[in-house]
Amino acid sequence: MDNALLVGLSRQVALRRELDVIANNIANLNTTGFKGESVMFEQYLDPTARHEYFPGNDRRIAFVLDRATLQNFSQGPLQRTEAPLDVAIDGPGFFAVQTPNGERYTRAGNFHLNPQGQLVTNNGQPVLGNAGPIVFEPTDTNIAIAADGTVSATNAEGQVGERGKLRIVTFANPAQLTAQGDSLWSAPATMAPQLAQPTTRAIQGALEKSNVQAVKEMNRLLEVTRAYTSISNMQQRTDELRRRAIEKLAEV
Amino acid sequence: MRALYTAATGMMAQELNVEVISNNIANMRTTGFKKQRAEFQDLMYQNLRRVGTTTSDQGTRLPAGLDIGAGVKVVSTPRIMNQGNITMTEKDLDIAIRGEGFFRVTLPDGRTAYTRAGSFERDDQGRIVTPEGYLLDPQITIPQNATGITINQAGQVSVTIFGQTQPTELGQIQLARFVNKNGLQPMGDNLYLETASSGTPQLSNPGLDGAGNLLQRQLETANVNAVTEISDLIAAQRAYSMNAKVVSAADEMLQSTANMLR
Repeated sequence: MDNALLVGLSRQVALRRELDVIANNIANLNTTGFKGESVMFEQYLDPTARHEYFPGNDRRIAFVLDRATLQNFSQGPLQRTEAPLDVAIDGPGFFAVQTPNGERYTRAGNFHLNPQGQLVTNNGQPVLGNAGPIVFEPTDTNIAIAADGTVSATNAEGQVGERGKLRIVTFANPAQLTAQGDSLWSAPATMAPQLAQPTTRAIQGALEKSNVQAVKEMNRLLEVTRAYTSISNMQQRTDELRRRAIEKLAEV
Repeated sequence: MRALYTAATGMMAQELNVEVISNNIANMRTTGFKKQRAEFQDLMYQNLRRVGTTTSDQGTRLPAGLDIGAGVKVVSTPRIMNQGNITMTEKDLDIAIRGEGFFRVTLPDGRTAYTRAGSFERDDQGRIVTPEGYLLDPQITIPQNATGITINQAGQVSVTIFGQTQPTELGQIQLARFVNKNGLQPMGDNLYLETASSGTPQLSNPGLDGAGNLLQRQLETANVNAVTEISDLIAAQRAYSMNAKVVSAADEMLQSTANMLR
């Protein structure tokens, strides 16, 4: 008898987690370079269902477990901003960022300059080129970023010079990257970054928007609420059933 | 329920986004205005199951973890320092900058501020001042009997004095450049202040070191593009209402839980 309640409970706990994930996706609807997540559920079979007094074979009971959150690394839409230090990645790949905790990776290309002329992220962490941080001269103008990530600028004498090349990397299995907030991902020590394929392009003057699809999220939101409510109803029925049983049995 | 708070961070972020966009639209006709943009980042994640954890003594590992994010935050509202359009005004002391530099202005308290808005006036002593009456630095005084003010591309100001045939040079307008223009602190009145993150200003004459040229009798309009602002506004408003929907969904779920107990 308890099984119905417990199976329902396992589903409700999983649904609440799913709602948390949907809420995070929707909260990040406008976050540059954000990648949406989805929850992966798994059936958990209880091998020892104790229904000795039922005729026929034992049925196995299936509980539900939320096993993992999967990040969807698909391309987000590109929005043109025309700001010279906005860079979007078209294709698989990440910018490498130098943080106090080691190298981190991001898809958010809304870069800035710091007073030393270094190319930095929104949090002031240097963006890495193939040969360390990318540094500009104080008098540089017309910063240009080519499709392969080469960064060049015009100096005071009007000569165009190369200032570095953005290090765009890919991973054998991006699912193993851990999102750690601040639009950054960290890679496990066992998975080394590789330089991205030439088909991955850097696009200057554009930003990659969040790849969360609002329609899909609202749909899932509806689904979660309805499923949760129907399980609540089922729990109520089970509860009533048991209450009646106790009442009737007491009368005998 | 975590979703309630996550959605609340989303609503707060979008509210700020609408504030930034509305300020951009309000300043669509402000001379030398540079639009701002709200930039977002995801908050930290709670690791419920860590990716790569060993799942058996055979060395099998979890291919994906269970990470639940806590929402969104606004990190900065940088200015997009693009060149604005140039319009003809036919007013002698309207000066537009084509390039990267800023005019220097002396504030009444002695500090120096920087501006792109080149709509200057003359005060009672003939000095070139901003519409608020703050002095242009270096100071340039136009004599009373002067006619025909000319400011050339390199920033030299010259006038014709009544009765003289040769123009007289009055002074040189200088421009300041910053390594990180986005790091300037806006103080209203179209003025900016130097900060630790903008770097120290480098002074140069217009036309040199990438400071840009001066264009007399022209003004730089705001670099706000109405179409993109309105579409950003729509996106922000929709995102706000979707976050509100998450709040009500979480509320509904809590309610149905509460109703289970009779």
